[in-house]
Amino acid sequence: MKVVPSRSSEWVRPVRPQKPASAIIEIERVSQVFQTSTRKDHVALSDISLTIDEGAFVSILGPSGCGKSTLLYVVGGFVSPTSGSAKIKGRTITGPGPDRGPVFQEFALFPWKTVLGNVMYGPRQQGVRATEAEAQSRALIEMVGLKGYEGFYPKELSGGMKQRVALARTLAYHPEVLLMDEPFGALDAHTRTRLQNDLLNIWERDRKTVLFVTHSVDEAVFLSDKVVMMSTSPGRIRDIIDIDLPRPRRRNELLLDPRYQKYVVEIERMFDESDLIGSSS
Amino acid sequence: MISRLHSTSIILGLAPIVLVLALWQGLVSFGFAPAVLLPPPGYVFGRLLQQLLTWTFQQDIAATLLRLFAGFAIAVVLGVSVGIAAAANPAINAVVRPIVRVLAPLPKVALYPALLLLLGFGHGSKITLVAADALFPILLSTYYGASTVEQKLIWSAMAAGTPRYEILFKVVLPAAMPSILTGCRIGLVISCIVVFLAEMITSTDGLGHSLVTAARTFQAVDMFVPLITISLLGLILNGLLGAVRAYLLRGFPEA
Amino acid sequence: MWQVASLALKNDSFPTAIEAIRAIPDILGDRESLINILASLRRMAIGFGIAVLISIPLGLLMGRSRAVAAFFNPLLMIIYPVPKAALMPIIMLWLGVGDVTKTLVIFLGVSLPVIYHSFEGAKAVEEKMLWSGAAMGLSPAQRLVRIVLPAALPEILTGCRTGLVLALITMITSEMIARQSGAGNILFNALDMGQYDTVFAMIIIVGAMGICLDAIFERIRARLVRWSEPQFDMPLSFS
Repeated sequence: MKVVPSRSSEWVRPVRPQKPASAIIEIERVSQVFQTSTRKDHVALSDISLTIDEGAFVSILGPSGCGKSTLLYVVGGFVSPTSGSAKIKGRTITGPGPDRGPVFQEFALFPWKTVLGNVMYGPRQQGVRATEAEAQSRALIEMVGLKGYEGFYPKELSGGMKQRVALARTLAYHPEVLLMDEPFGALDAHTRTRLQNDLLNIWERDRKTVLFVTHSVDEAVFLSDKVVMMSTSPGRIRDIIDIDLPRPRRRNELLLDPRYQKYVVEIERMFDESDLIGSSS
Repeated sequence: MISRLHSTSIILGLAPIVLVLALWQGLVSFGFAPAVLLPPPGYVFGRLLQQLLTWTFQQDIAATLLRLFAGFAIAVVLGVSVGIAAAANPAINAVVRPIVRVLAPLPKVALYPALLLLLGFGHGSKITLVAADALFPILLSTYYGASTVEQKLIWSAMAAGTPRYEILFKVVLPAAMPSILTGCRIGLVISCIVVFLAEMITSTDGLGHSLVTAARTFQAVDMFVPLITISLLGLILNGLLGAVRAYLLRGFPEA
Repeated sequence: MWQVASLALKNDSFPTAIEAIRAIPDILGDRESLINILASLRRMAIGFGIAVLISIPLGLLMGRSRAVAAFFNPLLMIIYPVPKAALMPIIMLWLGVGDVTKTLVIFLGVSLPVIYHSFEGAKAVEEKMLWSGAAMGLSPAQRLVRIVLPAALPEILTGCRTGLVLALITMITSEMIARQSGAGNILFNALDMGQYDTVFAMIIIVGAMGICLDAIFERIRARLVRWSEPQFDMPLSFS
């Protein structure tokens, strides 16, 4: 496969290495090979290097099967890379830890716990006293807009509400980095938009570092400071694009903003190009 | 609407039971079956009530229940712990798997003579047989439930700072609970069946023994009584387990 | 392990493994015992066959019709915890000690798990699959045979596998109660007469029968449902 020269316009420009001073996550030459039942091994990630700045909202964007979720799992410490390493604040990641909180597309709520029980789980695990953990959790539940649902079980909630609980559960143990794995992928368009807005509002308050995996171009542009574009088989970083749009972002303003539109169109065009080349090679 | 649906299905469900009773009564009343061989239902249930008040019959029930619970409890403890251990640890799995493969399809009743020789004719051999029979469905469904726990549940708990050994109790065990309870339900029915059989083969007390005694003296009525009793016990225990299940699984969908 | 245990126990009611294995050819060589064991197997096959033929359609109907399920469920619930072999003495009163009684008891023992699993399998069949069938013009009966049956087959076969082991167990127990012929008869007569090497030899034979039947069935099952998701591969059984 040839490397595609990117035809970036002046404000859609690829950015290579970051200033290491404020880096929180450093991914160094990470490759991930999965052994499959067929003879050919599946190369999910090939030689990925990426640095993420503290407080940045970074999206990893790519078609399905490009290994973007795998990259997130490597940072989470859920899978260990075949080669290379990922570091958080200079320490090599060897396993999951409360400094990196995941939010999964599948919600992954504990079905045997209520909304409150789910949100309290993390603080309790960190040794926070029950009364204190409960107070914190109730406040978080209110913040994600689920006041009154504390005693409900996950099965009694809609998909959007479940994802709000999952977000609150992760925020409850104050991770330094949020790892969001296509968190809105299983939701309908309307709910998805509302959750995107709410996530932005919550994020703009304390600006935690977010690593956000998605296959939706507008979602990535709308939310992020930086979009990492990946190409498929083997998973590689194709381009990194800074999204230079003002914050706080409001959806109704942004959709009319020609700069926003240009980003979306440009990124989609770049994917189309790589698809054509991918299929002819 | 829902309650009406519910009551129709209750009536529908009662119909075949009433039908069986009517057929039974009919067979006796119209002389197709002599009452010696097939006592009329009224007589049988009257006898059941009368027997339930006698001390010896109560002792028979107590003996049966003791063996049933002891065997079932051993099976639950062993089955759940081994099942989870086998799902969590590849080394344990490698040891357990071949043993289970051979022992699970083995008709355990055939082992009973060996148990009698080893453990004697008392409680021990019967409890062991009940436990051996109830063990495998519980072990297998625990293993199945524990090995199919959603990976991301475990990841979520690990990210929240749960140590590996605690994951077993805080995530795997509760997440496998629906499957474990299904296994327990099967195990309970088996326990009912097996304890009865063991008592029929050799025993001096228990419901199975009272059936055998009745059979020896060709007392058809007294043969029906222990059978109905074990069926009722099974229904009651199943109902209790259902209540426990509803409580433990109140968060789970379709529980 | 067994050998070591028995030597350590030094108990004359507990034969060594070698003694028990040495007794196996004696039993299988004896014409009468062999006929007994074969007769057992024949009853088991017949009881199992009839049970499967009746239980699968009943289970499928129950799974696809609320009314049929509501009709049969409570009755089956009552029968479930009753040990089928315990019905032997009563059925013996009516039908004598012959083959019919024993086969009937095996039939009863096998039926319930097969009905139950067919029921569960049919219930879980994807509704959309049936709609597609209906759209292609299949009648309800055709849908039952051509969609529900194959779709529920993995689950049905799980039930049959349980039923097979149950058939073996019911066979042994019924013969033990009737004490007239069959493998169970040999086993418990030997126990009564204190021929402990025969007891253990019979246990080995019966155990081997169970494991062989299970293995053969597993082969057939794997063939029939090659298309389905890889199933849970430890056997499930109970008596």
